[in-house]
Amino acid sequence: MANLLNLQTTTFLPTPHSLRHTFSPQLPTHLRTTTTTTTRIRAKIREIFMPALSSTMTEGKIVSWIKSEGEKLAKGDSVVVVESDKADMDVETFYDGFLAKIIVDEGSVAPVGSAIALLAESEAEIADAIAKALDTKTPNSNSGSSTGSGLDTVENNEVPPPSPGMAVMEKEKEEKSSVSDHPASEGGKRVVASPYAKKLGKELGVDLRGVVGSGPQGRIVAKDVEAAAAAAKAEVEVAPKSAPVSDTTVELGKTVPFTTMQNAVSRNMVESLSVPTFRVGYTITTDALDALYKKVKSKGVTMTALLAKATALALVKHPVVNSSCRDGKSFTYNSHINVAVAVAMDGGLLTPVLQDADKVDIYTLSRKWKELVDKARAKQLQPQEYNTGTFTLSNLGMFGVDRFDAILPPGTGAIMAVGASQPTVVASKDGRIGMKNQMQVNVTADHRVIYGADLAAFLQTLARIIEDPKDLTL
Amino acid sequence: MQSSLSLSLSSSSSSITPKPNHTFDFSPCLTKPLNLNLRFCGLRREALSLSTTHPRVKLPCRRFPSCISAALSTNGSSPKTFDYDLLVIGAGVGGHGAALHAVEKGLKTAIIEGDVMGGTCVNRGCVPSKALLAVSGRMRELQNEQHLKSFGIQVGAANYDRQGVADHANNLASKIRGNLTNSLKALGVDILTGFGTILGPQKVQFGKDNIVTAKDIIIATGSVPFVPKGIEVDGKTVITSDHALKLETVPDWIAIVGSGYIGLEFSDVYTALGSEVTFIEALDQLMPGFDPEISKLAQRVLINPRKIDYHTGVFATKITPARDGKPVTIELTDAKTKKPKDTLEVDTALIATGRAPYTQGLGLENINVVTQRGFVPVDERMRVVDANGKLVPNLYCIGDANGKMMLAHAASAQGISVVEQVSGKDHILNHLSIPAACFTHPEISMVGLTEPQAREKAEKEGFEVSVAKTSFKANSKALAENEAEGLAKLIYRPDNGEILGVHIFGLHAADLIHEASNAIAMGTSLQDLKFTVHAHPTLSEVIDELYKAAKVNAHVSSPVKEPVAV
Repeated sequence: MANLLNLQTTTFLPTPHSLRHTFSPQLPTHLRTTTTTTTRIRAKIREIFMPALSSTMTEGKIVSWIKSEGEKLAKGDSVVVVESDKADMDVETFYDGFLAKIIVDEGSVAPVGSAIALLAESEAEIADAIAKALDTKTPNSNSGSSTGSGLDTVENNEVPPPSPGMAVMEKEKEEKSSVSDHPASEGGKRVVASPYAKKLGKELGVDLRGVVGSGPQGRIVAKDVEAAAAAAKAEVEVAPKSAPVSDTTVELGKTVPFTTMQNAVSRNMVESLSVPTFRVGYTITTDALDALYKKVKSKGVTMTALLAKATALALVKHPVVNSSCRDGKSFTYNSHINVAVAVAMDGGLLTPVLQDADKVDIYTLSRKWKELVDKARAKQLQPQEYNTGTFTLSNLGMFGVDRFDAILPPGTGAIMAVGASQPTVVASKDGRIGMKNQMQVNVTADHRVIYGADLAAFLQTLARIIEDPKDLTL
Repeated sequence: MQSSLSLSLSSSSSSITPKPNHTFDFSPCLTKPLNLNLRFCGLRREALSLSTTHPRVKLPCRRFPSCISAALSTNGSSPKTFDYDLLVIGAGVGGHGAALHAVEKGLKTAIIEGDVMGGTCVNRGCVPSKALLAVSGRMRELQNEQHLKSFGIQVGAANYDRQGVADHANNLASKIRGNLTNSLKALGVDILTGFGTILGPQKVQFGKDNIVTAKDIIIATGSVPFVPKGIEVDGKTVITSDHALKLETVPDWIAIVGSGYIGLEFSDVYTALGSEVTFIEALDQLMPGFDPEISKLAQRVLINPRKIDYHTGVFATKITPARDGKPVTIELTDAKTKKPKDTLEVDTALIATGRAPYTQGLGLENINVVTQRGFVPVDERMRVVDANGKLVPNLYCIGDANGKMMLAHAASAQGISVVEQVSGKDHILNHLSIPAACFTHPEISMVGLTEPQAREKAEKEGFEVSVAKTSFKANSKALAENEAEGLAKLIYRPDNGEILGVHIFGLHAADLIHEASNAIAMGTSLQDLKFTVHAHPTLSEVIDELYKAAKVNAHVSSPVKEPVAV
């Protein structure tokens, strides 16, 4: 498979010493250690090109980078896997050096002959190579000053200075990690993480040293890493309720500035005050729904999907509840029924959207939901997957909350707060007393467009669907 | 049907410094060129098909009076008669294969078994592991939503019942064991129950005080899992393949020591059932026994995307089972510097460092045979060699006990070769024609030399080596199955068209290899193979592509050089 790499030697202009200095602290520690290099006359940086693996190949797709940035390469090492028209091929390097910068990421396509990465001859030159890479990205810049601006870009984009909020979070984590006592962690000096947790940590860019393990003996497992990633990166779209209170230790008496996430929540909450809302509640018997859930649970159907489906079917009959008013002068009957469901994450709140919930069958809906939650955890939700909701569901039933009311997310007509389904003593019309599972729902709506009777009718329909849920699985 | 138990490459003639885990405390003697210790296990077709009638059954051979065989046995100087013409010690796949062929050749045959019929392969090896791998393959398919989606299939969440999976493996083993026992009985092979010990030439004791004599004796006692020093096996949290095949637990995190066949197959099973796996490999690279290109691709498909991480270039020097609420602890030592490197705590550790011959108590001292690392020394005809380097008359050793190629089907082939010899026809088995397979998803298979081995040989003997490759991505059937990840590789001599080795990684690789192994066994040259026809669209066209891609300079089909036995 020895597909050679088209390497081109370029003589790189020596960068001002001072510039390199400002840059080097950004490098990982193991690189920094060797920056005490002797004076160099010029740096040697080679470009790695997309090779032509067959006579017909015009472009190649990067399947995966076998080496990562900063890694040492020896002649003959496979560096990258390239997919040609016929097969995946390993591309090997003909030179020793360090993979300084990957220019074309995994999954991207590059024409044959274009540079896909930079190879530095020594560790110290990695910085130069990165600067060069940025230089090539900004074509209208020239030499000295542009290199400087390139460095600025790196500082701003790749290594954002930790915000005060982040610092607090990190501090909390440290405190927590010192509490965890894995027998082998030697008081937190060592990281004990399962193979998948390590892999995820690398993928999601989570430093495992700051993660608290919940596995056996305090081992870090995949879900801990996912939670840490979500906490660090979660974005907030709407915040009808606050995130669940975590049992983290906080410093009492100290004023803490908002994190980006908290800022977003705050902004949304204040904005919601400009909308005149009102609330209507309803009690729904869920015996039939519970029975149905038990039946279809094995097929991967979740309660969330069932509720979303029932809500969507009710919305079909009451388009006004699915409408939205943005300017206060007119309102839109939305053509799609997109049910957003509030999801609490560690330190954040997201509302993934089940699009066309009225049309999609319950099994697909459940799978879609699982996919959305997975994506939300990995912070890979696309904008249309969290901001296209036309109606929002918020369910605190799993925490034993029997009733609550939600704040209406701006830009939508209504939000429904769902409480726990609980066994309740019920008197029936024929004078009997019986036990039924009942849950309370409470809808908050924009009274500019949705009136009391609208919600009442909607809730009646919803109750009828939930109490006789056979349509849900059609 | 054949399948694997484990593999270890005892570094062939070259001087690679670190050795695989299982050999590290052995002296590096006895390595012959190309001595691939493929520790591996398989079952011959016959073992299965014999439950039905087989042409061989009709042979009236076993009715021969024993005096005839006695007359055949010597030149008349010892007019002694024997209880049997052929006695096999060990009823594994090797002994079974030998016994069946002996019956066909008209020999009065008996087989001694001190444990359960079927040996490692049937009871604790390839057969039950294939049952587990069948489950893991299906789980993988059902869990791979993207894959199913690309077919347009929708399936709910897949789940499994551990006991059900374990029962499947156990039931399969007992079924095959029954088939194997019945096939021997039906042919009139006497099954002698008890531990066999050689008392002297042509004389064996079994059980407490039963003594039988036989004109020729085959040792086929097989092997047991090899556990390196410092590792304490408790059968619950520190286990070998013997325990793992019972699938009594599915741990959250399992460390697998050794990344050969056994380790690789178990990683496939455990990750499909939800475990996370850490490999510990003594060599610098995972899957050291495979062709480098194949192992590179295999790592990309079987290791990297799965919940597996690994430590290479380290020995697991001490493993302590879980007790007193503490997890299993594994001490890792750098293979080169011999300094402690790391400590792991896991839920379970599986020792898959290869297999050690089971030859203790066999009474070899009675005939002046000294084992080497436990293996019985033999020549190329499987004749046992004694301490003075002389052949022991009428005594043969096949299978894992001689360590030439630790595969069930290799043992069986060696047994057949021995029977050919004792019935008067010289025969040397060409080990380079014996295929091997690893039943991961997708599978890996190989026959003959790896590319580095071939190049080494070529340099020594002064010929050229060429390599032809093809991808499963170009195969219609593989694309239809949405399983286009795979590579097939042919190593050959461009001057005469001889196949030196074939390596396949991809869908049903284990079934595809036989075309190549048969070609090697028959000495068919590529010039002739180019004209063979393969049905379209089938996976076998991958092999067809290889044959057609080979560029042979010789225009005339010339007989291929005699196969070389190893």
